[in-house]
Amino acid sequence: MFWKSLFSKRFSDKQLDAELRFHIDEVTEANIAAGMTPEEARRRALIEFGGPLQMREELRDVHRVAILDHTIANAKAAFRFMRKSPSFSLTVILTLALGIGANSAVFSAIDAILLRPLPYPDGDRLMRLTQSSYTKGGQWGFVAPVRLQDWNRMASTFAAITGYYTQNESETTGAVPEKLTRALVAPRFLQVMGVSPILGRDFTPDEERFGGPDAVLISERYWRIRFGADPNIVGKRLRLSGYSNTIVGVMAASFLFPDRDVDLWSSVPMDAPYAQSRESTWFTAIGRLRPGVTTAQAKADMSTVQSRLGRAFPKPDADLLVTVQPLKEITVGGVRRSLWVLYGSVSLLLLVACTNIAALLLSRAATRQHEVAIRFSLGASRASVVLQLLTEALALSLAGAALGLAVANGAAQAFRMLAKDLPRLEEIHLDGSLVLYTLASAVAVTLLCALFPALQATRHGLSGSLAHSGRTQVSGRNPLHFVLVGVQVALAVALLTGAGLLLRSFQALGQVAPGFDASHVLTLRISAGYGETADMKRLKQRIDGTIDGLRAVPGVADAAVSTGLPGVPDEYGPDLKLTEGGADPSRAIVAESRFVSPGYFSTLRIPLLAGEICRDSGGPLGVVVNRSFAAAYLAGLPVVGRHLQIPSNSFVPPAEIRGIVGDARENGLNAAPGPTVYWCFGGGDPDPHFLIRTYSEPMALAHALRRKVREISPSRSVFDLMPLEQHLSDAFAENRMRTILLSFFAITAVLLASIGLYGTLSYFVNLRRRETGLRLALGALRGQILRRFLLQGLGISALGCIAGVALAVAFTRVLAGMLYGVSRSDPATWSGVVLVTIAVALVASLVPAVRAARVEPMQVLREE
Amino acid sequence: MSTDKSDLLQGTLDMLILKVVALGPVHGYGISLRIRQISKDVLQVQQGSLYPALHRLEKRGWLAAEWGESETGRQARFYRLSPRGRKQLTAEESSWRRLAEAIGLVLDTAV
Repeated sequence: MFWKSLFSKRFSDKQLDAELRFHIDEVTEANIAAGMTPEEARRRALIEFGGPLQMREELRDVHRVAILDHTIANAKAAFRFMRKSPSFSLTVILTLALGIGANSAVFSAIDAILLRPLPYPDGDRLMRLTQSSYTKGGQWGFVAPVRLQDWNRMASTFAAITGYYTQNESETTGAVPEKLTRALVAPRFLQVMGVSPILGRDFTPDEERFGGPDAVLISERYWRIRFGADPNIVGKRLRLSGYSNTIVGVMAASFLFPDRDVDLWSSVPMDAPYAQSRESTWFTAIGRLRPGVTTAQAKADMSTVQSRLGRAFPKPDADLLVTVQPLKEITVGGVRRSLWVLYGSVSLLLLVACTNIAALLLSRAATRQHEVAIRFSLGASRASVVLQLLTEALALSLAGAALGLAVANGAAQAFRMLAKDLPRLEEIHLDGSLVLYTLASAVAVTLLCALFPALQATRHGLSGSLAHSGRTQVSGRNPLHFVLVGVQVALAVALLTGAGLLLRSFQALGQVAPGFDASHVLTLRISAGYGETADMKRLKQRIDGTIDGLRAVPGVADAAVSTGLPGVPDEYGPDLKLTEGGADPSRAIVAESRFVSPGYFSTLRIPLLAGEICRDSGGPLGVVVNRSFAAAYLAGLPVVGRHLQIPSNSFVPPAEIRGIVGDARENGLNAAPGPTVYWCFGGGDPDPHFLIRTYSEPMALAHALRRKVREISPSRSVFDLMPLEQHLSDAFAENRMRTILLSFFAITAVLLASIGLYGTLSYFVNLRRRETGLRLALGALRGQILRRFLLQGLGISALGCIAGVALAVAFTRVLAGMLYGVSRSDPATWSGVVLVTIAVALVASLVPAVRAARVEPMQVLREE
Repeated sequence: MSTDKSDLLQGTLDMLILKVVALGPVHGYGISLRIRQISKDVLQVQQGSLYPALHRLEKRGWLAAEWGESETGRQARFYRLSPRGRKQLTAEESSWRRLAEAIGLVLDTAV
């Protein structure tokens, strides 16, 4: 290996010296034997030998590995080359910086979000457990405390199972109540996550018991912001929603579970009297598999456990089905397609950049034929010339990659701006694997775009030869350049089509009539704990009082509450039953339930179609159904006056259907409205969304509304105060991110392809200057010359376009699930793409074609 | 002394070295002595070409070298023919003989 010969140089120098010395000594001795004096003998021996130093150098050369020397020489040559042609080098470096940088940026997201395990020890062993109903299929997911404990005790494939839920509360020590997100966790939480506090300790069994001391763990961020990273924080007290808690520990900054907003964790007493119902739905359950257990084994185990529970507690448990899914899948599964599509697109972009550079290098190689011929004539082998050309390209792509790394480094920032809800966003950063990936890209790019031009340049060997000397051979038969341009156009067309379809779906989303009016609606939430549901009467009073108070603020037209935001998926669908039966008794009712205050419909301007809006004034519970519900389950029957009930929830009495309202896209603007039941019960949720219709710009009332809430509930904090339209827009953040990024990639690809077309055509125009001049001198019209070059450019673009359309058919197939309101074969998009491509090709070809037509024949001929 | 000495034809030095080494392990000085003796002082190898040639042959794997004690009791580097070197020697010998024979035929032609 060459480094060995480098590092053992000293040692082998000694050996060389010893070997030579032996020779000199022997000759000296022979000379002495022949009768010379020792001095004379030695002198003659040295003379005969001729400079031992020079000899040593020669011997060392024999041993040195040639590649290393060549590499250094090639690298030197590459830097000379870069210095000598700065504009060419800069073009290549910038193109690659963009191509490699964008590619590495998307890769950094893929790596952080999809490839790496969750940032907990053995994160791949963490599973999410959900329960769903056999008969109805409706998935609630949330698990009763007693069942969670049963699962933990009975499941043999899990090391431990725990659970959590979060609520937004207020810290009331300061002058203004401050909103905090608290995760309430079942025992074993830290054990399952596999983490320990960086300061302090986990909860003690005593603190997990009902009536035990109140203890909280706080997040590193909260520790820093609220307590100035006080090292003696453990043991201090924190007043939360009126209760005093002891801080027992601080979690690491990287521990952001269940979500990045969490400020503190406290334990839920599983032995509390109110926690004993098997019907309650509290916890999101997570478990840690024992080492070596597969997901399939865990699933089988959990279904055995649940069927045993079903025999012991037939009432709710027999109907339940347990699903086990990797926590990582739950966390990142939703963005997988998007990210891979982006990665595919950005790789196409890199390919366009590569092709562009290959064409540049090819033109470059033609002008360097002379230099290559000289190298050959001086005895260089083809391999060594190819190696030199490759080294030049590698130097350029390494420089491009270094710049690209800087681009990729800013990527996390860009992703944060484009989609702040992207999971694991905080884990995207520059690290060793990204550097490695970028370097690998640089090498791959070099081979991809420089190998062929290098082989092409050295194809003729000596025969290509010095004979041509300064003259460049005029040869129109070099289709390779144009193939490369065609490939660029084809790739750009594919990307452009994808981006076009995404843009069109975004446009279609904007034109959707959602069935409710989101403009001039402000939303806010007020901190509260689930504990308040213990006194429903008081809770309802508070909510109603707050609605009335908000409605009284000047500038407010109407106000209401809802458990879920309109237009944002909520997916609460408990089993429903029509007490008097439906149109088709055999048909199970699948409908979404939303709990709203009666003002909801006027606030959101959802029209009443029949009956009346239910009242929420302490009388019997009323519901309003939407038109889809009435059409699906009560077709041809009188709707108003019938009763609906939730059989599995004994807290909710049967409710009378009081009216029918219009369909609204409650579950997202991109989802057609389904059957929906509005339960006129605004006081059931301690922490609902307040919806406030304003007369003017909604955010202008923010201050007044905050003040009003302070007045009504001084110890609570207001949070998530923003226009409803903002929520709707946030719901499409991921969609918007991929649309923006893909459009950016497509535009870049089109630009690169047009530069490629322009460059190649210019090159040929230059190459044919003499021929053009001659033609003009012989009477050709300038228009003919112009048309000829123009048609050449347009022709190759048209061919590229056709290939691109074929490519786009394949590419858009992966977009199928991401499109809304536009089909994959949307004629407007496809024809638009073709038109844009031809228009860009026209512009890119026109400039060199005009230049060709302006050639002065006399001048050209005089240059001869 | 220098009148009846011939320069070696390019490429033949390697063959001569291989041949001498084939007789048994020998150091560089020994090789130059042997070539001179066997050729009856006609062929004299310059040290300036001997040692690079030895190292080149060693690098190609035709010779193997190790340190040992010379007849005069000094540490010297002894060269030995490797199996690949033996093969190479056979090939070179036969091609040389063919060449010499061909040249002889040309020269023997009566004018």
